[in-house]
Amino acid sequence: MAVVKVDKLARSVAEGPSLMTGSNPTKNWMDVPVVFKPGNYAYTTKPEKLEYLDSQQGVSFPNARVWNPEDEDWKLPENWKEIIINGLADRLDKFRSLKIFMDCCVRCGACADKCHFFLGTGDPKNMPVLRAELLRSVYRQEFTLAGKLLGKMAGGREMTTAVIKEWFMYAYQCTECRRCSVFCPYGIDTAEITMMLRELLHLVGCGINWAMEPVANSNRTGNHMGLTPQAFKGNVEFLCEDIENLTGIHIEPSFNRKGAEILFITPSADVFAEPGLFTCMGYLLLFEAIGLDYTWSTYASEGGNFGLFTSNQMMKKLNAKMYAEAKRLGVKWILGGECGHMWRVIHQYMDTMNGPADFLEVPKSPITGTVFDNTASTKMVHISEFTADLIQQGKIKFDKSRNSHVKATWHDSCNTARGMGLLEEPRYILDHVVDNWVEMPENTIREKTFCCGSGTALNTDEIMELRMRAGLPRANAVRYVADKHGVNTLGCVCAIDRATLTTLMNYWNPDVQVCGLSELVGNALIIEGEKRAENLDEGLRTMVF
Amino acid sequence: MQLIEALKNKKKEILSTWVDRTLDSYVSSGFFKRAQDKFANPVGANIREGLSKLYDLLLCKADQKEMMDPLDQVIRIRAVQEFTPAQAVAPILELKWVVKQVFTADKKLRPLLIELDSFDCDVDRAALAAFDIYTICREQLYQNRISELKSGRSILTDSGCPSALDRQGKQHISKLQ
Repeated sequence: MAVVKVDKLARSVAEGPSLMTGSNPTKNWMDVPVVFKPGNYAYTTKPEKLEYLDSQQGVSFPNARVWNPEDEDWKLPENWKEIIINGLADRLDKFRSLKIFMDCCVRCGACADKCHFFLGTGDPKNMPVLRAELLRSVYRQEFTLAGKLLGKMAGGREMTTAVIKEWFMYAYQCTECRRCSVFCPYGIDTAEITMMLRELLHLVGCGINWAMEPVANSNRTGNHMGLTPQAFKGNVEFLCEDIENLTGIHIEPSFNRKGAEILFITPSADVFAEPGLFTCMGYLLLFEAIGLDYTWSTYASEGGNFGLFTSNQMMKKLNAKMYAEAKRLGVKWILGGECGHMWRVIHQYMDTMNGPADFLEVPKSPITGTVFDNTASTKMVHISEFTADLIQQGKIKFDKSRNSHVKATWHDSCNTARGMGLLEEPRYILDHVVDNWVEMPENTIREKTFCCGSGTALNTDEIMELRMRAGLPRANAVRYVADKHGVNTLGCVCAIDRATLTTLMNYWNPDVQVCGLSELVGNALIIEGEKRAENLDEGLRTMVF
Repeated sequence: MQLIEALKNKKKEILSTWVDRTLDSYVSSGFFKRAQDKFANPVGANIREGLSKLYDLLLCKADQKEMMDPLDQVIRIRAVQEFTPAQAVAPILELKWVVKQVFTADKKLRPLLIELDSFDCDVDRAALAAFDIYTICREQLYQNRISELKSGRSILTDSGCPSALDRQGKQHISKLQ
């Protein structure tokens, strides 16, 4: 593999007069300043949200203020440079992985063309190698002998406000999807570099509201939406009414019930926003069909953990609430719904942050007797693992014809695919619930799946253009199967995907709808005593009056 | 007819220059120009395919309706990238410059330069259609924003804090009393 200099990766040459941008670089990447303008940055954190979070135990979010990235003055603390350098020193000391990632990159370029942000923008600073270089250059300058002596000649650079601004721009043009790390011969996890960049930015009060307000809500009421226990319960019950109208099945779910065998936790978007609602109806039907002894919690009412996109302390705190609730209710184990980053937190970080969850039992399906040894430490089972086991053991039956309106393809959500290896279970379930589904091209699925382009709290509307270009590689593969096979449904197991892919499809492939896997399960599930209306042309989505 | 023949004969050269110049409008264009896999390189592959189809349609004097798909293939991408509206549709007009460059470089083709008026008009019409598509794409973006706000996802932020609202309500009531 040829070793390429970073600046070469970022250079191209055009000759002759052009009507177009003339944007070809004439300067070294370090000397190209970032320009903030409407549409290319997410709104900054509201001061009251940051003040609230800073007042909470175990986390620190200083320098709450009104500020605008477009302004010259970001109102940083006077000693901001010292704070950043000390913060980096702390993290290099605490996280061995960061130290290794800073030192071991040989700039082979294998990651350069694998990032959906680079593929959608052509901006060299979106190449994972160069995004990491934004931090690595400061690391070299401050923490390596060569950098201290030779500075720029050794790839180092001074920490300036321009660098802070560059960090803010590109730390929020990475969805921490980890596709690049699949191709890195050294296994450098660029997502963790982005996580560190975001942590360092928070030390001087630079964050985005779309991350911090859900974090504040989650910390206060238990979920991103800020739903009160009453509202959460009311929404689930409202879905049960819909289910009864559609299927004749009467469901009375329990909330905060002590002594239930299983605690069920899912993203709050499932009980509040389309199209997650239909996925939630799928869960409710499945649990009713098998007579599961489970409870919802109105306190651990959020599977999502935007702390992952914020700081390790915040992630730990929000994750801990799920286990605290499991302990309080005295359940045996936790069943988790269709979420992306909840599973990445559980699979990769929970054990060292809050685990092992010794007060819970190793999950065992009460219906099939299957013991989920893979979750022996976290005690939390994915709904697709649980459902696939029910199918495999012949405990549930389906009528695929109820999904005859669906010609599906499968989007491997980044966090479940790359973060926990959930690749086969969803496909196994799909095989059983729909007649027709096709795979997208090989280099866009499974471990190599393309991100929706809006993860890590970038699913906000003020950066719509950015999201659409970052989602192009995913949408492009969907378009291929839509054109070739008539695909009209994009299935996935992630709440952010369900919301953001819907928007992405509206722009790139308007004939393709997005659904959760459990929605398709709920559509096809045969339940004793049900009286499904005959004309459910769109399954659980059908409007009945 | 001689002009059309010449444009056909020089297709490879013209397309190559045209696509390269279009992709050069990206800051780091090397990969976009080089990689052939449609799924690994969606910007490069779609722009190459869209411009190639458009060129063929221009040569056979196709109806403008037929040009909408390949134009959409190119412009839909550029409408969400960091280009001004003019920069986004500029590649279509660049074809005129590219054709003139290629013809000027070939002695035998130079006499045909004065016959390019009609071809130039067709390119202009395609560029105007491209601007229509650009506008449609931008409107779709704004529709997307509205749809997200309406879908309930906006409640992630900008929602009132329930306990704060409750507290404010109580304070308001106590003031009234």
